[in-house]
Amino acid sequence: MLTVAALPLPELGARLRGDGLLLRTGPFVNCVRTDVASLAAGIAAMYADYPVEAPGGFVDFHLNLRRPRGLRQWLRPQVAFDQDGLAPFQPLPVAQAYPMLEWLLNWCVSQRAHGYLLIHAAVLERHGRAVILPAPPGSGKSTLCAALVGHGWRLLSDEMTLVRPADGLVAPLPRPVSLKNASIGVIRAAFPDAVLSPSVEGTSKGTIAYLRAPRASIARAAEPASPAHIVFPRYEAGAATRLEPVPKARAFMQVADNSFNYPALGRQGFDTLARLVDACGCHTFRYSDLGEALARFDRLAREGA
Amino acid sequence: MSGDRMPLLVQVLRAPHAVQALDLPGWSLLLRQAERADMQATLLALLEDADLLETVPDAPRTHLEWIRTGATRHAQAVRNEVRQILRALDGLDLPVILLKGAAYAMAGLEAGRGRRFSDIDILVPKASLPAVESALMQNGWATTHHDAYDQRYYREWMHELPPMEHVLRGNVIDVHHAILPETAALHPDPAKLRAAAVPIDAPDAAPGGMRLAILAPHDMVLHSAVHLFSEGEFHHGLRDLFDVHRLLGQFGPAPGFWDGLVPRARELDLGRPLFYALRHAMRVFGTPVPAQVVRTVASCGPGPLRTALMDTLFGRALRPPHPDCMDALSGPALGLLYVRGNWLRMPPLLLVQHLFRKALISPRKPL
Amino acid sequence: MWRLVPGQSLNCREWDGEAVLYNDVAGSTHLLEAAALDVLDALRAGPFDAATLAARLAAQLDAEGGELVSLIEEMLVALARLDLVEPC
Repeated sequence: MLTVAALPLPELGARLRGDGLLLRTGPFVNCVRTDVASLAAGIAAMYADYPVEAPGGFVDFHLNLRRPRGLRQWLRPQVAFDQDGLAPFQPLPVAQAYPMLEWLLNWCVSQRAHGYLLIHAAVLERHGRAVILPAPPGSGKSTLCAALVGHGWRLLSDEMTLVRPADGLVAPLPRPVSLKNASIGVIRAAFPDAVLSPSVEGTSKGTIAYLRAPRASIARAAEPASPAHIVFPRYEAGAATRLEPVPKARAFMQVADNSFNYPALGRQGFDTLARLVDACGCHTFRYSDLGEALARFDRLAREGA
Repeated sequence: MSGDRMPLLVQVLRAPHAVQALDLPGWSLLLRQAERADMQATLLALLEDADLLETVPDAPRTHLEWIRTGATRHAQAVRNEVRQILRALDGLDLPVILLKGAAYAMAGLEAGRGRRFSDIDILVPKASLPAVESALMQNGWATTHHDAYDQRYYREWMHELPPMEHVLRGNVIDVHHAILPETAALHPDPAKLRAAAVPIDAPDAAPGGMRLAILAPHDMVLHSAVHLFSEGEFHHGLRDLFDVHRLLGQFGPAPGFWDGLVPRARELDLGRPLFYALRHAMRVFGTPVPAQVVRTVASCGPGPLRTALMDTLFGRALRPPHPDCMDALSGPALGLLYVRGNWLRMPPLLLVQHLFRKALISPRKPL
Repeated sequence: MWRLVPGQSLNCREWDGEAVLYNDVAGSTHLLEAAALDVLDALRAGPFDAATLAARLAAQLDAEGGELVSLIEEMLVALARLDLVEPC
């Protein structure tokens, strides 16, 4: 199987500038085209282990990230996303091209992939048990997710949980893990060997960097996981580590609130989510000590509670 | 449009079996064109009706099933929204005449199969506008376009209340009292449209006694033609022309339909839009129009030079708005047609002012 | 008299005294207490008025009398706002 790493850099650049790099992420094939050199470098680094599809197949999502033409390009270089001639977002400074790619890869899935219940949540697996971590911004989810990954958990996704309506399993979509602001330093300190993208400042979410997904997680992207727990994490400075049950009907509504496409799925969305909540222990999780948090999660994976 | 230069989407809309010759990249392209033209669900419906779904390869088939999910939800939302509208207007004792997409959907017409739309359009008598607006507001709809200029644009110069958005559901209703503004060059009499309206069944659980209706078949075709050929914007040009094609296909066989179409157009001062609608439906979709009708409607058209010019302009505008289908001339063609569209609907003095203002207030959404 | 809004199948799940319910007509999802679900379920055999519902549900809801009837009336009004029931 051909991966990005196997492509010589000039070849990678040529595909990106030409007909596109056919990059597989989980179940999806993305055709990525860009003329931004820093983005090509970012892809080479963060997507080294990802499969490259041969031309002649079906493409799920087309992404063009290009420098807009015009006088502006000399004053403040930008990158813009267009999808088949439609430009739904404002251009961003070209330094933000790589985060833009990550956001757009998520956006494409969230807009279209209604064959899954899509939850804004991280999902990781250990000992055959998948733990789903829905969390609005600011809950510390990304730090916890990155730490679990560094600690050996299989990464299924850091932002976008895909639940299959037919059998209730979670389909993996392993991609680089986003880290914001303070959590960048925390993860660098906790996992000195981790590969991070360069930090990009000044985005709408502050400073952002990405942790490369483990090769083993990418290699198992075709292997769905059985959901066993839904955990709503909350980092609180000084808090004791506590995992507490949440009434399931409440958990249901919370997860629906954190879903990209629950309303679009109608009755099937309801049934899929009901099955998920039925199958999972539902908890809130407060913590301040990362080490203790990891230990508690290990216990959750081993013992199921 | 010659056959081999016809965009893939148009080829498939004309003849769904064309998909059997597609390879996977061809499917990717077809789905992308369909998405840009807002016709994905239509594509799904056509393939289903032609018993072709089973022949679609797995990967594009998956996308079609994603589309099906959205389409099912859309249909449910439309039914519920119409029900809520009937409930809000119950007690005003006037029939609610649905227009365009909502009409096709609720009447179960061919043109409604897979037809997506974002607003519900209704037609009511001008005198009842204040009561209708008030009833809607009492039931949770709020006016949009609070800018005083836009409010005038809609109420005084156009033919509708400013769109009203429901505060909880977020759905939008457009209340019209005519199908063209009083300031326009053409004057289709709304009283005639309302008099010919055809009752249809209301959705389950709607209040009893509330009358739901759609325009008569001729009038629906003419409204679709007018909507397409005098509106300023062509994002939905192909979709709207396909409406004309499907309406004609469904009503054509009815006795007296073709004979009465041009006379009705003349009666409603809509001969010119009908001329363009028939001409372009035939050119793009090969719509079968009886030769006699083609001859009769010719007198409603402009002279040969202008017809040729409009052919060029419309030809480009009616392609799927996908980069593959656009050429260097399309940008200006679309711009020219935008100006033209507004020309028909508003007197010249107001035109520039409106366009200028519109350009200032159209931000794109930031991430 | 009250009845279920035609088209409602009452697709729901209950856990520990609370329930989530899918509203077939509006396409929305509601969090309800189990008692509300009992009222809806009882209306499958309906239409009924509040007093009849109170009589049928007294044992289940472990309450009775005038208080129960007015409680049920309040509940019906709230459920009507959600398009789950309607007067008839």
